[in-house]
Amino acid sequence: MSYTLRGRVETRLAALLPVLLGACVLAGALHRWWPVELVALMAAVGLFLDLEAWHRLFPYQPAWASVPVGVVELAALMAIVHGFGLHAPLIPALVLFGVGWLTAFVLAQAGFPLLRLGYAEDGGELGRVGAVAAVAIALAFGGSAATYVVRLPPVVLLSAGVHQGPLVITRREVLRGAPGAVVRGGIVVAHDDVRIENVTVVGGENGITVDGVRGTVIDGVTVQGAKLDGIHVRLAGVVIRGCTVDMLGNRLGQGIDISFNMDMGMSMVEGCTIVGGQQGITTHSSATSIMGNRVSRTTGQAISVDEMSMGMASHNAVRDALGVALYCGDRSMCMFDHNTVIGTRPDTSSGLRNRRGFAVLADFQSEADLWRNSLTANPVAAGAMTGATLATTSRPSW
Amino acid sequence: MPRVAVVGSGLAGFTAYRTLRRALGPGEIAVFGTDADPAAGWRVRAAAIRQREMRSESDGHTSPTSFPGLALSSVRRRRSLRPLLDSALDRYHPTVDEFLAHVERERERSGWDESVVLRRVERVAAVEAGFELDGEPFRHVLLALGHPGLNVPAELRGDPRAVHSYEPHDYASTVTVVGAGLAAATEWLNALAEGAEVVSVRRREPARRPLNVPRHYFTRRGLAGYHRLPPSERVERLRTLTAPSYPPGSAWDEPLARAAAEGRFRIGEAVNGARQVICATGFLRGFRHDPLLARLVSEHDLETADDWLVLEPDSTVPGLSDATRTLAVAGAPGQWAFPAADTLAGARYAAHRFLRRIQACRTR
Repeated sequence: MSYTLRGRVETRLAALLPVLLGACVLAGALHRWWPVELVALMAAVGLFLDLEAWHRLFPYQPAWASVPVGVVELAALMAIVHGFGLHAPLIPALVLFGVGWLTAFVLAQAGFPLLRLGYAEDGGELGRVGAVAAVAIALAFGGSAATYVVRLPPVVLLSAGVHQGPLVITRREVLRGAPGAVVRGGIVVAHDDVRIENVTVVGGENGITVDGVRGTVIDGVTVQGAKLDGIHVRLAGVVIRGCTVDMLGNRLGQGIDISFNMDMGMSMVEGCTIVGGQQGITTHSSATSIMGNRVSRTTGQAISVDEMSMGMASHNAVRDALGVALYCGDRSMCMFDHNTVIGTRPDTSSGLRNRRGFAVLADFQSEADLWRNSLTANPVAAGAMTGATLATTSRPSW
Repeated sequence: MPRVAVVGSGLAGFTAYRTLRRALGPGEIAVFGTDADPAAGWRVRAAAIRQREMRSESDGHTSPTSFPGLALSSVRRRRSLRPLLDSALDRYHPTVDEFLAHVERERERSGWDESVVLRRVERVAAVEAGFELDGEPFRHVLLALGHPGLNVPAELRGDPRAVHSYEPHDYASTVTVVGAGLAAATEWLNALAEGAEVVSVRRREPARRPLNVPRHYFTRRGLAGYHRLPPSERVERLRTLTAPSYPPGSAWDEPLARAAAEGRFRIGEAVNGARQVICATGFLRGFRHDPLLARLVSEHDLETADDWLVLEPDSTVPGLSDATRTLAVAGAPGQWAFPAADTLAGARYAAHRFLRRIQACRTR
């Protein structure tokens, strides 16, 4: 086919229309926007290449050229998805692209020639159908964008000053604290897709409790004086960023405890500072990424990946932990890389072999992979006990 | 009573008829011609040059839409996906038998025989809100007249050794083939295969391209610029585009190279000495060779440019087509609108636009 520029664009948009409608349905079913975002990106990449490359390169485009054209567009698309950090799962995203490519191929080779008598000799131009497709695409994207905006959660601004808690969040919302906003008595997250930003929490059973919900984001919060855990997560998927948890004086509580959420996807703790507590960051039966945190003065383990968890602790700094700094226990699978552990102290009062001041300890049939950790001034750099294994590798065994 | 007429019952007329049938019944269309078999003339010519494969590709058929093409029916017939793969690679060419079977099949399905009137039209005259074909009124007329006749160089007319390539013939022991297009190339290979010595006489070197004209001239991409050319430049462009050509590929080159190495094939200056001279010189060109067109031009003072009848980009005749009536030209005489008008794609181009004009006509 020798496409005119208009024909190329109209064919592109009309072929994208069923894929966009499918993506909208998929987005509605998944309650995620990535299908629509991906199709929008497919349209943008395709149209850009149509205008800047394909029209000039192909005065005549044989059917087989759809394959290399598709490969180039896929590569560009994935580069943008990766570069801009769009949260599209790889395989479904590839499937969506593949469906889009196949739809376009079938429509261009068979569907449009059947639909419009002069499709071939008009250079792919679709007449009114092309204009309608362009309008429909614009409406679909516009509608999606409007829906996205309308469905953005309401923002609750917490003014400076002390607010008596516990604060129980029972709807989808953004709780945003003004400088100096303090909640006394803790926060309980009881709904999906809640975001908490820039709030200081003082006291409470737990500082922040997240239980049985999805999509919680805790960003820039400060937790002090919790009776049990600083941030307590059960059966829930969370992203915790840039938090400060002060557990000094609490010998039994955990700074951040994420447990029993293996089926909720990957959780993340990133850029937090935790001081004190029995365990700084601990996971049980969880898949959690623990990155770039600073943990110090803990009395049990500074970072603990426990009870059949799969965890990666990377680029963390641990200081002055008592007994154990990085712990991989109870059939867990751990990757510890680029961590700095300094000054772990032996817990002589416990009299336990596994509390002798390990920078890294793998325990009870767990598997820990180590790579480029900096372990300084620790009584024991690394050890494995009761059937656990330690390996030095850049690639985790899992 | 039919209000739409197609003058010419060959492949261009048949293609137009099938397009018209999307909107009109057989009783609304009259097709005037001298043979009810739309492939009658073409079949004889293809057989004469022993053509086995079409130069056209999957969309070289008589259906209104380019899809489904002949590759798809070949898949069914051959029980192999190879034709589709070849089509994607632009390497699929239906066999002549497949094409003729397609024409025969569609002839039966389309109601063609109900519409054919076996009569040669001698005169088309524009009248109030339509045209008269030898006195019979129609509102919309498509002229699909075909080629006006075989072209034999003047110096060879009457030469007992000369035969036109499109006339049935065998091969002598020494053969001179005049011409350099697809028919000539086919004749070189045919004569060599029969054991003859072949001399190719040509005025210029043939172009090597897969189709009659470069591919972008089959769509608006190439046609838009072509239609913008002033008449003198368009004449020059048409002369270039319609110069002799045949497809590239080893299937053509290897037998010629082998024969040349054996001393059985050479390019010569003149036809001297050959026992047989095959004129692969195509058809007479220009509206003046067709009595109906010549009379139409003369009686209605139509615009012409060199050998060509000037047409609108939609293949209609300027001055004789308006909101109430249409006179359009398909096939070889329609090259002013579509350089590859003498192909099946060209026939479809004219047919599509003819149908659009009819559908846009409020009084049809």
